[in-house]
Amino acid sequence: MTAENDVDSIQRDPPRRTGEGWLPGDPPPRQRLEQMIRVDQAGEFGATRIYAGQLAVLGRTASGPVLRHMAEQERAHLETFNRLMAERRVRPTILSPLWHIAGFALGAGTALLGERAAMACTVAVEEVIDEHYARQRDELGDDETELRETIERFRAEELEHRDTGLEREAELTPGYELLTGAIKAGSRLAIWLSTRF
Amino acid sequence: MTGTGAENAPLTLDELRDTILDAALPHVPFDGWTMTALAAGARSRGLKSADVLRAFPTGPIDAIAYHSERADRRMVQALESQDLAPVKIRDRVALALRTRFEQNAADREAIRRALSVLSLPQNAPRSARLLYRTVDAVWYACGDTSTDFNFYTKRGLLAGVYSATLLYWLNDSSEGSADTWRFLDRRIGDVMRIPKMQARLGEALSRLPNPLALRHPSEWLRQGLPRSMRTSYPDRWPPPPQRR
Repeated sequence: MTAENDVDSIQRDPPRRTGEGWLPGDPPPRQRLEQMIRVDQAGEFGATRIYAGQLAVLGRTASGPVLRHMAEQERAHLETFNRLMAERRVRPTILSPLWHIAGFALGAGTALLGERAAMACTVAVEEVIDEHYARQRDELGDDETELRETIERFRAEELEHRDTGLEREAELTPGYELLTGAIKAGSRLAIWLSTRF
Repeated sequence: MTGTGAENAPLTLDELRDTILDAALPHVPFDGWTMTALAAGARSRGLKSADVLRAFPTGPIDAIAYHSERADRRMVQALESQDLAPVKIRDRVALALRTRFEQNAADREAIRRALSVLSLPQNAPRSARLLYRTVDAVWYACGDTSTDFNFYTKRGLLAGVYSATLLYWLNDSSEGSADTWRFLDRRIGDVMRIPKMQARLGEALSRLPNPLALRHPSEWLRQGLPRSMRTSYPDRWPPPPQRR
């Protein structure tokens, strides 16, 4: 009986803390947490701008309601991160004017290429965001359960957006690989920059 | 608590810093922010000069930074104990800065000496960071929750107000620094004019046609025409006129 209990206690993972594997040279845990909230807020801000750009072009087409629904969800995400940012006293990214323009341009630009290209843009962005959130989820420990669950919930919604894009024939865009590859590279660069600046 | 801290209960690092700094501050107007002043302060509390190095590893600049950060903390604490809800934002900012100045009124000469150290080129990054921390603390104490670029414009503008007021305050010999508070009010007044100017500028710009408005060309044309010439086109371009 006792032996069994011992085995149990060995097998159960001990509560994991955020930044447990921290090494000198890495950003310290508190700074890492700030970086996460900063880049997530910037990402959701960028996403709302992308959808705003797409809606400016495709707002009156058949894709309009779908886009509006996704834009609404991104706005809710942004509000959540805005709140977290104020609560935890994290500075926002200094590059927000850039994302304001670049996000809208990306959304409007792909939408002008057609509805399929707009959906391909959604698929590309959401795939990068999915990776990004998954990495953050793995990094956060049990002392940040609430944040981890929020991120996990948002990740599920971003995946829904990706699936919506795929359902709406994103992959039939001419030059799909090229377009999504470029957008993914741009999104990763934006993530790298917003984490730091 | 103070006195023979080294032998009895070991002090935490911040307590050690507080002890040394408080004891050294009277020496600073004479010796400047030097190891001499810090060591004299430490000696007077029965600490060794090794403790100074433990508290402030890179020397006097660390002590200056600690003094500034402690002042920020105390200001935030003082404001948190007050009910700021009915106070207007500009008055909150003025109150926060005034609180910080008043809390440090006794160390005015030390702060003057600190500025001369902070203005050395090799200390420019450090002093910029301290200035940022101070204005950030003021906005935090005022309950600012902006998460866009306003975050930076607010802090930038306040940095200007704070720096100017700090210099004025250092040379202010009026009763109870009354001149400084009037100066501060005028500087905040200057800053408050900026949103009004922005609004005027935005209004002027909105009268220009916006080539980025991605709308149907007919709507675009309709907006660009003077009101008297506007006709409402259908949602599509009209068909070309029929030739007879």
